[in-house]
Amino acid sequence: MSITASGIRRAAPAAAQGGHIVVRGLTKRYGALSVFEGVDLDVAEREIVALVGPSGCGKTTLLRCVDGLIPAEGAVLVDGEIVREPRPGIAMVFQHFGLFPWKTVYDNVAYGLRMAGVESAEIARRVPQFISLVGLAGFEKAYPYQLSGGMQQRCGLARALAVDPRVLLMDEPFAAVDAQTREILQFELLRIWERQPTTMLFVTHSIEEAVLMGDRVVVLKGRPSRIHEDITVDLPRPRSRATFTLPRFAELRERVWSTLMSEAKKAEFQVGP
Amino acid sequence: MRRETLKRHAPFVLSLIVGAAAWEIVGRHTSVAFMAPLSDTLARLWQLTRSGELPRQALSSAALFVTGLALAIVVGMPLGLLMARLKWLREALDVYVMVLYATPMVALIPFILSLMGFGFAPKVLVVFLFAVFPILYNTIEGARSIKPELIEVARSYRSREWALWREVMVPYTLPYTMTGIRQAIGRALVGMIAAEFFLSATGLGQLIMTATQSFDTAAVFAAILVIVAAGVGLMRLGRMLEARFAQWRT
Repeated sequence: MSITASGIRRAAPAAAQGGHIVVRGLTKRYGALSVFEGVDLDVAEREIVALVGPSGCGKTTLLRCVDGLIPAEGAVLVDGEIVREPRPGIAMVFQHFGLFPWKTVYDNVAYGLRMAGVESAEIARRVPQFISLVGLAGFEKAYPYQLSGGMQQRCGLARALAVDPRVLLMDEPFAAVDAQTREILQFELLRIWERQPTTMLFVTHSIEEAVLMGDRVVVLKGRPSRIHEDITVDLPRPRSRATFTLPRFAELRERVWSTLMSEAKKAEFQVGP
Repeated sequence: MRRETLKRHAPFVLSLIVGAAAWEIVGRHTSVAFMAPLSDTLARLWQLTRSGELPRQALSSAALFVTGLALAIVVGMPLGLLMARLKWLREALDVYVMVLYATPMVALIPFILSLMGFGFAPKVLVVFLFAVFPILYNTIEGARSIKPELIEVARSYRSREWALWREVMVPYTLPYTMTGIRQAIGRALVGMIAAEFFLSATGLGQLIMTATQSFDTAAVFAAILVIVAAGVGLMRLGRMLEARFAQWRT
């Protein structure tokens, strides 16, 4: 299940670089209830920003706004263009995997390319490359129900990567898989990113994951939530299992932890809305 | 191995033998006007087949059945998907679907007769009305159970409406529609015979009616046997197709 030598080869032609995300004054309300308010966020090209926050703080909602799936007040720009609906070059990886159960692994990975209008010869060339990039070679004809959760998310990842995105939006991508698989997938994603650095907005509720993946960790909290802290993660890349053992990793983890927990406690004992 | 197969199918085979024996015995001890024994029925079936009468009438019925059912599928499936996709359309038409699904269609036949007369078209309409509602109903129910997450995935990948139908709605809903079609097959057979009885008499319906009038009970049972065999066979085929399209469901 690890990345094979052939899979590691750059699977896509040089990505059209770009992928600069700018969020300004983003506010999402459902009726009288504000989920988040006045969110300003910049993600540079090839940067990974991890977004953490207590459950219910609107991390996923924010991500869906950036993808253009739901409207919000304020502005989201990617490479200077306002996002009002899903745009090309922005791909999302879902917590629930979002695979089509009636499609095989091959057809699921091909889906994004087909929707983007890529010609079939090109699809036939690229799909196997991305399937082997995520370590699913040999499972092309399998249906999602025949795969473990980890393998399903590998497929979801391949589908997103195959469209050669400028921006990857990761919605708690490894939250639904077991702990060991999660770790394996984290390092595989890091290795894929090293091969082809892509801008990533990475929502997670795991502090370790946020510090491991991110160049920055942005903490969203409060009710309605705002960006509370923006912590730069100055850990060296490429990151690996050894990163966990660095004293600096522990420091950063503690810092994110204390920022989050002070709020979590307050929220837990808060009365009323 | 063979023993076990034998054992497994024993209740089924035994039940068939008992049923056939009962038919034969009761048939022999009942007036020919009401009942013909199995042996006479099979003999008459062979006779009618040899003479070409039965194949000709069966073909005529089949044309009616296939046309009506095909129309029901062609209308029922897209309309069902459309009603699942468009809330206002669903809310507007839901009541009619429910009312018509519950209506005994036979009661509408005189009305169709006075409206459209005796041709092929009114009979097709009867078969269509018998068959369309289970297809429509199951398609709506199926399409409405698509997870909204999957629709969102499609949107995230910038799917156009047509691609959403082709890639998501139709493949997801097909097993449900097949269930509807399987139910529709039984109803369409009833509709076919009803149309042949009450509108212009043709096909197996005509064969049954003329045979009844001349007290040819064996021919009546022979025709019924053909219809039953066709019904059972078609339902089996429907079930096979259903399983084929539902492969991806665990």
